[in-house]
Amino acid sequence: MALSENDVRAIADYARIALEGEELAQMTSYMNDAVSMLEPVLAYDLPDVEPTFHPIGSLSNVMRGDAEDAERGFTIDEALGNAASSRDRSFRVPSILGEEE
Amino acid sequence: MRELNEVLQDWEAVIGLEIHTELTTLETKMFCGCKLSHDDEPNTHVCPVCLGLPGALPVPNRRAIEYIVKAGLATNCEIQKHSMFYRKHYFYPDMAKNFQTTQGPVAFCMHGRLDLEVSGRGAEERPACAFGAAEAESLASASAGAVGLSASMARDLPEGAGQRGRSQLSQPSHAQAESADLGTNDLAPAASALAGLASYDTASLAVPERRDDGSYTVPIRILRIHMEEDAAKMVHVGGEEGRIGGATESLIDYNRCGTPLIELVTEPDLRTPEEARLFMEKLRRIFLTLGISDCSMEKGSMRCDGNVSLRRRGSTKLGTKTELKNLNSFKALHDGLAYEICRQAEVLEEGGEIYQETRHWEPSRKRTVVMRTKETADDYRFFPDPDLAPFDLTDEFIDHCRAELPELPDAKRDRYERDFGIKRADAEQLAGDPDSGAFFEEAAAGMTGKAAQTVANLIVNELAGYLNARGPEATVATCGIAPTQVAALARLLAEDAVSSNQAHEVFELMAASGEDPERIVDERGMRQVNDTEALQAVVDTVLARCAEQAQQYRDGNQKVLGFLVGQCMRESKGSGNPKLFNELLRNSLS
Amino acid sequence: MPSFDALSAREISAGIAAGSFTATEVTRAALEAIDAREPQIQAFLEVTPELALERARRIDEARAKGAALPPLAGVPLAIKDNMNLTGTHTTCASRMLESYESPYTATCVARMLAAGCIPVGKANMDEFAFGSSTDTSAFHPTNNPWDTERVPGGSSGGSAAAVAAGEVPLALGSDTGGSIRQPAALCGVVGMKPTYGAVSRYGVVAFGSSLDQVGPFGRSVEDVALAMDALVAGGHDPFDSTSQDVAPRFAEQAGTDIAGKRVGIIPAFMEAEGLTSEVRAAVESAASELAAAGAELVDVDLPHLAAAIAAYYVIGPAEAFSNLARFDGIRYGYQEPDCATLAAQSALSRAHGFGAEAKRRQMLGAYLLSSGVYDKYYYAAQKARTLITEDYRRAFEQVDVILMPASPRTAFKHGEISDPTQMYLADLFTISINIAGNGGITVPLGLGAESGLPVAAQLVAPAFKDERLIAFGSALEQAYAGKVGVWGEVAAMHGAGAPVAPVYAGKGGEL
Repeated sequence: MALSENDVRAIADYARIALEGEELAQMTSYMNDAVSMLEPVLAYDLPDVEPTFHPIGSLSNVMRGDAEDAERGFTIDEALGNAASSRDRSFRVPSILGEEE
Repeated sequence: MRELNEVLQDWEAVIGLEIHTELTTLETKMFCGCKLSHDDEPNTHVCPVCLGLPGALPVPNRRAIEYIVKAGLATNCEIQKHSMFYRKHYFYPDMAKNFQTTQGPVAFCMHGRLDLEVSGRGAEERPACAFGAAEAESLASASAGAVGLSASMARDLPEGAGQRGRSQLSQPSHAQAESADLGTNDLAPAASALAGLASYDTASLAVPERRDDGSYTVPIRILRIHMEEDAAKMVHVGGEEGRIGGATESLIDYNRCGTPLIELVTEPDLRTPEEARLFMEKLRRIFLTLGISDCSMEKGSMRCDGNVSLRRRGSTKLGTKTELKNLNSFKALHDGLAYEICRQAEVLEEGGEIYQETRHWEPSRKRTVVMRTKETADDYRFFPDPDLAPFDLTDEFIDHCRAELPELPDAKRDRYERDFGIKRADAEQLAGDPDSGAFFEEAAAGMTGKAAQTVANLIVNELAGYLNARGPEATVATCGIAPTQVAALARLLAEDAVSSNQAHEVFELMAASGEDPERIVDERGMRQVNDTEALQAVVDTVLARCAEQAQQYRDGNQKVLGFLVGQCMRESKGSGNPKLFNELLRNSLS
Repeated sequence: MPSFDALSAREISAGIAAGSFTATEVTRAALEAIDAREPQIQAFLEVTPELALERARRIDEARAKGAALPPLAGVPLAIKDNMNLTGTHTTCASRMLESYESPYTATCVARMLAAGCIPVGKANMDEFAFGSSTDTSAFHPTNNPWDTERVPGGSSGGSAAAVAAGEVPLALGSDTGGSIRQPAALCGVVGMKPTYGAVSRYGVVAFGSSLDQVGPFGRSVEDVALAMDALVAGGHDPFDSTSQDVAPRFAEQAGTDIAGKRVGIIPAFMEAEGLTSEVRAAVESAASELAAAGAELVDVDLPHLAAAIAAYYVIGPAEAFSNLARFDGIRYGYQEPDCATLAAQSALSRAHGFGAEAKRRQMLGAYLLSSGVYDKYYYAAQKARTLITEDYRRAFEQVDVILMPASPRTAFKHGEISDPTQMYLADLFTISINIAGNGGITVPLGLGAESGLPVAAQLVAPAFKDERLIAFGSALEQAYAGKVGVWGEVAAMHGAGAPVAPVYAGKGGEL
């Protein structure tokens, strides 16, 4: 079943990607092309095959000790250095709910 | 609205809890080496990992995994050797990566159980009709069958599967009733993913029976305890009282982001607000004993959400549930649930409908208000985190955790009751707090029976009262009072050297000065007079002065004896033994 | 003296150790070569002369004090711009990170620097590594040194082009579906993707976490082997849960005898649709050369290879969506100004910060992970992964390595492939080992008979047997070294290894 522009708009809303002008139509067309390209994979959904989530063989139980790593810790200037807006020692975002109506 | 007790006669409340506990006693965060932050300046303890910088990767804290395994062992969970971390996506700036690293369908700890002993007034909340056969049916129909899916768990069940397992398991009724809430990629495969797990031994679950004193014991099943990371703290600026609504901007502090967090989800086995409160108290005592968290509800290191729905007594079909937030104290947990039960009953009795929604408990106004309505399921787009290797916990690892388990509160309570011969309620209270328990054991060493009970009384009443009065910073360990001092005071009480009123005074003086109780008593002449000859002289004086009251007693007014004892105490300037006065008065007047 | 580009990495570090020239002289030569060649090539997004000269000065000082020099002392290195290095930007060729300053250093970069490499700059790439042409860079395309009207391949196109143009002897790239091996093939250089987990991913901006792997580019197999030794020295990186211990014994494999060893050929691959005849002919001749060197050719079958591209375009976008969710313009990255609400700020920052392909992959990933869809595709893809891994395991019971094409064709022109789903098919031969996790190497075979552009073969080894790639790669390289005409008129200019693209060889950079 093909994805409609409404479907694609809903995904874009979720993924926080504003689609403007022609983009919605283009994206919808791309998504449908891409999904149809993926069809062959459905044939491999076999009941007696275990999925592989980690391509790393038998690697498991990788952990670290509960010890402080002060070397990697940032100063406040390093922490905020790449933020477009900050206030005092904090990152800043605009109103979350917006103007209440 | 009707009263809770009345409502619960007609309606059965089906309650489940989700309890988040920060592992505050660890040194560092879940996936990086930043120190756990307690009260630091914003963004003091941050690094590439917990700020979610491009290219940063998580490495799990071994001690945190040990802690959750201990939590599972202490709550009778099965420890799952094989599990994975998953990514749970939602766009909100309190999560630096816009996903939370948490666990999938298989958590480290699954299918546990705690037995609650409910007694006293709280036991009255469960009406007579909710025992025996009726309750057996209720349990069977409210819990999610053998697989044990609750809606809250289902939300964390992303393990979609190619195995078309939908028909392998009949859908449990609870999950069906709440399927609208399934914020998961898909539920059915989750059930199949769990199919291989051993589930609860439902047959062994005891149905609660009410004892003669009104008390009862009820088993509460624990669906799972999973490991995850806490979010950052946000401060909303410009709105009313720091509320998000009306705020013009929000400030984010990532110190807390990445703090190890364990989430325990119960089955909907709780039936009264009191049971919910007791469950939370019991869990808190266990976690405190394990030493995995400071368990401060006030500071938010232990947080509880409640799910509640109602159904008519005798009905096996579950109602629509609401989710309750802001239950940040034991009182709030009880009162919030009680309010919500009564509110739902009123709506239903008026022919209304309960909407699946999240409600906020407002303690000051004693009501719950809607936070958000769940029209559509949240889609968290779970999938196994490829950056983290899977876990295959070894027997050695689990045994190591087991070996580190301290004596748990229930076992300790039983031991105190058995070995010291103290009252169960006091044993429970002492055993629930590791510091108090250690203090008691030291103070009451070698004692049994009345002597030990006297020590217990002093700790439960005097010491606890003293600490309460001094605020949250005062602790048993730091208050400066030694167990030997309390033991000495208990001896003075046992020897009738001081009255219980005097004991209170001595305790205060002892706490203030640090002096030993014997010295306080002697220096201040507080030692109780037990010399019957001396006391008889006081009695005679009083009876001579109070002939009228003496006659009233002889005429059958027993109550007047108390007045006469009081007169004797006054005459002896408080030094006489009131019990002996009582005895001597009776003799003199007979 | 000739241009420094005539020297291999080993020759440079040996020359510095011997006092023939200093690290500073080499670094200045590299910076001059970059200056002279960049106007046509545009391989770099950022050139870092100060960082480079400072490093070079330290090496020269160390040598003056008589200290032992690390194995790659003074060797200029280009670093793909998705790898953090403090003192540089890390842009991933995206507007999203245009002004992003690296707050820390990636382990792979730190290890190369510890081995003595000189970081001369950050190399161009497809935006966030989504692509096979480097044309999706938000800043500028990179041109193929063998024909500047053509792409260098991608996504590590800047790294490949910098090596092919002789601007650096070594470069780091990352490979999620062929992003090292395909540009190496198109630029006529050696490029290696080791087994997943062999090289730490810490500090490399993630695209597909279960697919990404860092590896080196060089003009000779030996140089690549030396870089591999540097990358794995130190073993498991405690900052990357998925990294594993690998012994630094790559360089010693160069030149070992392959006689009696078995080389697998996948007949279906040689007949694959889209494989050009000149590439096929080249790979066939490579097989003959290996046979001539004493190896036995064995046909092997990988029956589930057909699933690889579909599985890749499920797993890759799903992981990419997740990994790129963090770019919301709050902690770092482009932030849309003057937004009244957080939701608008996030959606517009991402809309204007990301290029078209980055948005497409994330949208596809968000869809594939959504309720109901995830169940259908993601599990199927991960099962296909199991089957492909098993195919390789079985094939490697019969053979030591497998020989196959790296790219179905030689370099294409800028803009020649405009349909994104068509572009995805360029990864036909490279994707399956990202799915399975084992390693592969692209070895150049000279110029194609028809196009006159570089053609290459790919060798694939079992997981954590990457040293075989060096042994067989160097055998192949030696077989072609003495052949006249393989590299056109430049054949005589060098011994083992690929030549610098002739237009640029010796252009600036005199030592």
